[in-house]
Amino acid sequence: MIEVRDLYKSFGDNHVLRGISLTIPRGTTYVVLGGSGSGKTVLMKHVIGLLEPDRGEVLVAGTRITGLRGRALTEARRVFGMVFQGAALFDSMTVLENVTFPLTEARQGARLPLSEVRRRAIEKLAVVDLGEDVLDQYPAQLSGGMRKRVALARALVSDPQIVLYDEPTTGLDPITTDYVDGMILNAKRRLGITSMVISHDVASAFKVADRLALLYDGHLAAEGTPAEVRESKEPFVQRFLSTWFEKQ
Amino acid sequence: MILFAGETFAWALRPPFRAGLVLQQMAFVGVGSAFIVGVTGTFAGMVLALQMNVALRQFAAEGYVGGSVGFSLARELAPVFTALMITGRSGSAIATELGTMRVTEQIDAMETMAVNPIHYLVVPRVVASLLMFPVLTMLFNLMGYGGAFVMGVFVARIPIGPFIFHTQELVDQHDVGAGLFKAIVFGLIVSVITTWRGYAAAGGARGVGEGTTRGVVASSIAILLADYAITFVTVGT
Repeated sequence: MIEVRDLYKSFGDNHVLRGISLTIPRGTTYVVLGGSGSGKTVLMKHVIGLLEPDRGEVLVAGTRITGLRGRALTEARRVFGMVFQGAALFDSMTVLENVTFPLTEARQGARLPLSEVRRRAIEKLAVVDLGEDVLDQYPAQLSGGMRKRVALARALVSDPQIVLYDEPTTGLDPITTDYVDGMILNAKRRLGITSMVISHDVASAFKVADRLALLYDGHLAAEGTPAEVRESKEPFVQRFLSTWFEKQ
Repeated sequence: MILFAGETFAWALRPPFRAGLVLQQMAFVGVGSAFIVGVTGTFAGMVLALQMNVALRQFAAEGYVGGSVGFSLARELAPVFTALMITGRSGSAIATELGTMRVTEQIDAMETMAVNPIHYLVVPRVVASLLMFPVLTMLFNLMGYGGAFVMGVFVARIPIGPFIFHTQELVDQHDVGAGLFKAIVFGLIVSVITTWRGYAAAGGARGVGEGTTRGVVASSIAILLADYAITFVTVGT
């Protein structure tokens, strides 16, 4: 479904990505682990075409995202939903307006009736366990966990084939973290969605991942199933994972 | 910034045309700024009338106070003062709002939802500014002339007949039109600069603050430079 081929990206002298290659099969959840500033978000932004690589390419469902511009890029992005680290809800809009935004604004050509738009929003909010009572609230009135859930409902409302999660559990308490992990698993099980998750949360990563990669110094230090990554002999991988596994 | 402006003009011509968003911005830029523009206009007209009265009395030409004030307002003071006031009030708010949306990834989110942020956020603000700057300039003209009338006729005791007659003599539609043309140019300058500064903000709250400050300063200087350039070209030396 997603193929990243030999991706390089630098910002001045800072070489963030140095030859990243990975494949995410349809219907799987792929987690990219890494420390702060390791380039995880940069990698994800290449996948959805928010950044252009210095070298290499990204293919999504056979379409080359790299190099696309304007309307072609807009069309290619229709298969995506994305949940941002800070939720990135539009703070001047209510929850209902946020969740329906991809339907009312991005699909001007094929406008849905307002009742149908509202029905879909309520349906997706139900997927993340939010009721109609939040529809008229503004993001500033919601807790961090609720904002993430609204962000996921917004990402799901246009029935995307792929959902990208940027640090979905950062800044959340353990119970909400557990809940968000459940949401990611749920989205895959119930809707068959392909997911790419960027995280530094080892516990969450091992819980939701079908496949996992560890990004270090611009390249993938380990890549495979969670069991394979855990058995890796790479010193950095062992050190990174030991921070969590030794606590268990 | 030139590329940004070019992209804005290109998107402005493409459907969908979001009339609701334009009206919302017209209310913010126009209705929201009406009070401060009206107050500034009134006091500018009042002060100018008093100053003119002192100067023209030396030549026993007090009757020309209304015309002199009207001419100055129409061609120069109304468009420039109005643009500077809107820059301070609405331009700064536009830069801050877009800057905050940029650093909190709301603009990135919009892009991932297949909505072009320039089309959705920038175009309505630019169009609203192009429409509302001339309207507010006319408001400044009216309030300024009203202020001058009160000061001239009721305080300085200038006879009402010469006051009105010389206004009609000195100020015609070309003067008002020249001021409104300037207002349109200033609307374009302010909206493009402040939206660009917000859109390109980076580096958290500090970046948003810097973007806003730069947007306001650059807009103010650009207004003065453009005013000089237009005046030089239309009036000459």
